[in-house]
Amino acid sequence: MRVDGRDVEPAGTILDAVLALGIPIPHLCKDDNLPPIGACRTCLVEADGRVVAACHTPAAGVDEVYTGSERAARIRRAVLRLTARMHGPEPDAEGGPRSSELWAAYDLNGVERPASPRRTRGSLDSSSPFFSFDEQACILCGCCVSACQQLQHIGAIGIAGTGTRAKVTPGTGVSFAASICTACGSCVAACPTHALRPAPERPGERLGIPGEG
Amino acid sequence: MESKTWTTCPFCGVGCGIVIHTRGGRMAWADDDPVNPSSRGMLCVKGRFGTRFVQHPDRLTTPLVRRGGELEPASWDEALDYVAERLLTYRGRFGSFASAKATNEDAFVQQKFVRLVMGTNNIDHCTRLCHSPSVEAMLDQLGSGATSNSYADYEDASCLVLVGCDPGSNHPVIASRMRRAVDDYGTRLVVVNPKRIDLAERADVFLRPLPGTDVALFNGMARAILDDELEDRVFIDRRTEGFNAWRQAVMTSTVEEYAATCGVSAAELREAARLYASPPPRRGLAAGERPGSCLAWGMGITQHAHGTDNARALINLALLTGQLGRPGCGISPLRGQNNVQGCGDAGCIPDSLPGYQPFAGDVAAIFEEAWGAGIPREPGLKATDMVERIAAGDIRAMYVVGENPLLSEPNLAHAEGLFRQLDFLVVQDLFLHETAHLAHVVLPACSFAEKDGTFTNSERRVQRVRPAIPPVGSSRPDWAIVADLARRMAPRVGVDPRQFAYSSGAEVFAEMARLTPQLRGISWARLEDEGGIQWPCPEPGHPGTRYLYADRFPRGLGKFVPVQQSVPAAELPDADYPFVLNTGRVLYHWHGGTITRRVAALVDQMPEVPVVINPADATRQGIAEGDIVIVRSRRGRMSGKAVVTDAVREGSVFVPFVKLQESAANFLTNNVYDEPSRIPEYKVCAVCVEKKRPRPAELTAAPPTVSRDR
Ligand code: SF4
Ligand code: SF4
Ligand code: SF4
Ligand code: FES
Repeated sequence: MRVDGRDVEPAGTILDAVLALGIPIPHLCKDDNLPPIGACRTCLVEADGRVVAACHTPAAGVDEVYTGSERAARIRRAVLRLTARMHGPEPDAEGGPRSSELWAAYDLNGVERPASPRRTRGSLDSSSPFFSFDEQACILCGCCVSACQQLQHIGAIGIAGTGTRAKVTPGTGVSFAASICTACGSCVAACPTHALRPAPERPGERLGIPGEG
Repeated sequence: MESKTWTTCPFCGVGCGIVIHTRGGRMAWADDDPVNPSSRGMLCVKGRFGTRFVQHPDRLTTPLVRRGGELEPASWDEALDYVAERLLTYRGRFGSFASAKATNEDAFVQQKFVRLVMGTNNIDHCTRLCHSPSVEAMLDQLGSGATSNSYADYEDASCLVLVGCDPGSNHPVIASRMRRAVDDYGTRLVVVNPKRIDLAERADVFLRPLPGTDVALFNGMARAILDDELEDRVFIDRRTEGFNAWRQAVMTSTVEEYAATCGVSAAELREAARLYASPPPRRGLAAGERPGSCLAWGMGITQHAHGTDNARALINLALLTGQLGRPGCGISPLRGQNNVQGCGDAGCIPDSLPGYQPFAGDVAAIFEEAWGAGIPREPGLKATDMVERIAAGDIRAMYVVGENPLLSEPNLAHAEGLFRQLDFLVVQDLFLHETAHLAHVVLPACSFAEKDGTFTNSERRVQRVRPAIPPVGSSRPDWAIVADLARRMAPRVGVDPRQFAYSSGAEVFAEMARLTPQLRGISWARLEDEGGIQWPCPEPGHPGTRYLYADRFPRGLGKFVPVQQSVPAAELPDADYPFVLNTGRVLYHWHGGTITRRVAALVDQMPEVPVVINPADATRQGIAEGDIVIVRSRRGRMSGKAVVTDAVREGSVFVPFVKLQESAANFLTNNVYDEPSRIPEYKVCAVCVEKKRPRPAELTAAPPTVSRDR
């Protein structure tokens, strides 16, 4: 199999092969720990003439993959533009390990970052002392739900509602603190945006000399 | 500058892989490690959000020496010269606690120091307080005290039997893997616990025996298996001994009689036995493969005055059904601390040398040859005995590394009195905790995030620990401190100081591997290339061992040992103390809480010690959810916040042993011990519970007692 003209072992999915070559394509809803979800469509590539989601297309049987073909790039940009309409500007807060992926995807594909906050999707749940959920930044990719259900087998969160009302929630009207969430943080680690992010470090926890803090 | 360090979680025995992200020399975030075979990309709240304690301002940054009653800062030379001088006068009346939180390298150097320089086998660690009965029974009946299976076997099993443990709180990532087995593969689940743990929700059979009746319960299961002829005849004939005598003992009562003793239904007891001995195959099990069952147990089995009998009864069950030595089955005493397995492997136990090798004959000679001096060959004192022997004057000086016995020992007031009688106490730790306050010298040690080494988790996997941040203050790794001290003392006792001239943890590990057959094939270089390796790993080309006992037991044949139910506990409820107190742990805190009390978010989540009580009892005592209640035993009292739920049985209360707001369950627990393992009976003692009455205003107006620990 060849990706952008380079030979590669066709093991796993097309995305695995692409990333193995160090070619950066966005893959917002594919987390290392999770099976492919195929929800965000930001990982589109052209494979043997068809545009497919790289994350859930097996590499076996595919001959030629182009990550930057005119068609794939155009559709990918369109998908990213739609994604950018779902959320607000980058918050001034430290994110989780994957938070920068969203912004990197925009920059890499020449898509403008959103400048103003979304008014309709503004809820903030900071009831857990360990992390918060800021709906403003959520792209409804489903990684968090999948992490909670398929990785940790806890099932504390889901996506409720449809269309513009769809929302990640630990239960209607329930906060994280009041839910069965065990604060394992797998959802925070899987979130490719700033929506689920760790609580900031507090002064008393900083490295210091006894007596400080 | 952001960098990442691949290392191992410092909290529990699951041993999850964590990736520490540092920014500007400061730990910013702990991430999971998708390729770690033990945790497979998972972590729990402690590993993910709880590691910031290492940067807490309370960290000890310099050695402290007591001068004129006060602990005052001192240089390393001053402190170590002083300790060396004093300890030389206490050879023969000395004992040492090693830390199951420290690395294998730390543990190995410490036991070498105690044996070679102090000339005693008085070295032990917290296994005495958690799984010594399991280890005792397993060594006797099988010849090895380790968990026989891997975590992967929980997912391959067709039935999981969880006895007296709460993986959801104490081993959360194992719990996730067990939930996966049940949800994805239809694995059957049997839960035996007086408390309704979270996993009980998924259980096919949930048994809630009366406290202290475990032997009857397991003998009942054995009887049910024999009645149904579900025993593994071939396994019994080929691999075991003592079956007939044991069988006779079990046949003395019927399943119904056993069930009545435990207060459970006989039908459910039979169903549990059937599922364990011969579960229906899980989804996806290869055709023709025998469905396996894993048996896992925790402190609910061991922390009793007859803990060893409980463990024996469980091992008998495994031998009876042959649920050992294949994929998807095995026995697991779920280990508490991150390195409790490794600390024992490295020889921090009074009755054997590293690798559980006996003192007898050749083995001690091999060590003496390698170390160039003689070592004592009589077993030393166990941790609980060391403390009790202070009163008689047999122990006058102690060196306590990374443990806080004045929070973890039973009957705290009694233990504190004994520690105060010591002539000389050295404490080496991260924080100035209860025990350190009584010390004559306090030595600051590095945390897991600042040092190189290895931990061995519950599935015998030796994994690397790597430094993510520079040492806090002038703290040093435990092994380096002990080696430095040993070099100062060695010439005075006829030991070559070069025996302690290690330049790195790798060098320590290499010596340990050379002297320990089960680790011989493991080296840091291999761990670097291949990731964690499961012992036994006898030679460099060996891939490690997923499950034990495939062809034989280390002692040859597995041994059935008849056990009979005795009095449920040394102290039972009566009119004055009508409740049974059960202690344990909670998800959000680690053990006694010396560490997790220093993580603001964990304290927020659970700021007060919960006292969990059944609704019927609460109503009778006039207690409502959230009330402050006082719990009293014959030995002490504590206060906590009432949590009313039928998760606990009527007549019992549950209190985790974390210490918050100066309140701790171990002020109440009973210092009676199991023979032969000498574990204290933490799980059962009699208490009374009442609502706290508001105090007259003039009393509450006094200034609050200053908490030593914050
Ligand atoms: S919270 Fe994060 S992971 Fe969950 S759906 Fe929103 S963006 Fe995706
Ligand atoms: S932190 Fe809570 S919501 Fe997130 S994965 Fe864990 S249990 Fe689920
Ligand atoms: S399960 Fe244990 S080892 Fe894993 S992250 Fe939690 S405390 Fe650490
Ligand atoms: S990463 Fe492929 S669809 Fe989201």
